[in-house]
Amino acid sequence: MTREHYQQALKITAKSMARVKSPLHLARIITRFIDREFGLSHTSIVIRDRVHSRYSFVDSKGDRKIPINLIRIDQDNDLVQWFESPGHTLPIRRDYLTTQQISELVDDHMLLDHYPGLEARLARIKDQLSLFRAEACVPGYYKGDLMGILVLGERKDKTPFSAEDLNFFQTLAHHISVTLKNSQFQEDLIQRNEQLEAKVREVNEFLEKDREQYYQIMLALAREVHAKDAYTAGHSEEVERLGCMTAEELGIDLSGRKKDVLVAALHLHDVGKIGIPDSILKKEGRLTEEEWLIMRDHASRGAKILAPIEAFKDVSRAVLLHHECFDGSGYPYGLKGSEIPIESRIICVVDTFHAIVSTRCYRKKSTYDRAISELRRCSGTQFDPDVVEAFIRGMSKRLEPRYCITTGKELSQLEAERVDTEAQG
Amino acid sequence: MIKMLVVDDEVEICDFLKIFFEERGYKVFVAHNGEMAMAAVADVKPAIVLLDVRMPGTDGVDVLRRIKELAPATKVLMVTAVETRDKIDEALRLGADNYITKPLSLEYLETEVRDKLQKMGS
Repeated sequence: MTREHYQQALKITAKSMARVKSPLHLARIITRFIDREFGLSHTSIVIRDRVHSRYSFVDSKGDRKIPINLIRIDQDNDLVQWFESPGHTLPIRRDYLTTQQISELVDDHMLLDHYPGLEARLARIKDQLSLFRAEACVPGYYKGDLMGILVLGERKDKTPFSAEDLNFFQTLAHHISVTLKNSQFQEDLIQRNEQLEAKVREVNEFLEKDREQYYQIMLALAREVHAKDAYTAGHSEEVERLGCMTAEELGIDLSGRKKDVLVAALHLHDVGKIGIPDSILKKEGRLTEEEWLIMRDHASRGAKILAPIEAFKDVSRAVLLHHECFDGSGYPYGLKGSEIPIESRIICVVDTFHAIVSTRCYRKKSTYDRAISELRRCSGTQFDPDVVEAFIRGMSKRLEPRYCITTGKELSQLEAERVDTEAQG
Repeated sequence: MIKMLVVDDEVEICDFLKIFFEERGYKVFVAHNGEMAMAAVADVKPAIVLLDVRMPGTDGVDVLRRIKELAPATKVLMVTAVETRDKIDEALRLGADNYITKPLSLEYLETEVRDKLQKMGS
């Protein structure tokens, strides 16, 4: 190859190398390139496997090519050792190694006399070269670390490599090393990222499990509360259904967490009643002032029960404020309008409705109507008018058959009557 | 001259090991599949067989079983990729003399061959 030819070849390879991110792909390009341009008995590339800290042939081309993935070269191999520890006392350049160089060294008696053991070492290295059918070996480094070796068979016309040839091989070996290192960096990054993600997942699963467990305990408590009272048995599921319906009707996006908070709050809003004595909870007559104070404390108590769970912060707040009134006349703080979380405003409407239809003869249409008119009556004072309207709209759309079945009339007829009544009212 | 049979479906591997062991004074035969291997075992009666575990058709373990039936004294070294641990166990049960995992160290392979043949001699 002429100097011009080299420059050209270097430019071409450098260009393709800029594109190539995979070291194995680059190795293949380089072995094919050398094979084509130099016509060697074989061109092979040995790369360090950093997992097993050993080297192996990853690519080979030529008539006498070396089978890939068959042979491994261990760290203590003489050839590897020769290249791995440059900067020692021997006055021999190690940026490449040729059979010719070894022959010269073996003949240098002054050198061999000066360094005992060198002769035997050179003999072993020579064995390695012949094992790999190599005329020359060119190491590739990254910041002083041996990344791989370009193993080159002899030229078909048996002429030795020129200094320029070897120089060129060094450039290629360097390119492979850099690409290899880059791809290793990338692998490391990906791996570290995966490890981090796995950790985060683990923590989340743990939290999720914890949260789920706590939620189950809360649900059990809430069921306990409701079980004390005949009317509220089966209350939870119904309240959840009606609450979600109202939220949807209000146009609240219920995908994801927002729904979890609402549902949890709907189920748990009365969990604070767990500590209230049955004598108060089940009392038929009017509560005394003192009893009433205990009774209304259930909102705060419920919130306190839920407070320890970070994920339940919003649920806890919704429970705390579910007896606040739209006009500020509620408890415990007397908040107004949008100061009250929407979940609390929904709970209060749905809970009232359900209490009315449950306490009285369940299936009478009159009960349903009474409940609706109660909501209307308190709309704007106790209840958020938007929530009341959304609730009624939702109910009429669905025609809630279970609240209207006993009159014996068709549902459409019922609906028509209701519209009439409204129009008259 | 000690006769060796190298069995591998990859021609390059056979050729490489053939040259390697011929340079070290062995008479080396090669086979690229199970059938060729059995024919060679009957024909040349090798003292030792280097046998690839994974081959298309009759795999290394089947070949091993038949070699041990036909010529139990033949030493067999299984050559295998790492991922076939169960195959290795099976091979050892069937009387394989040892196994070597690819990629392999040529020095170790040569020592192992010499070692197994010495055991046969004693």
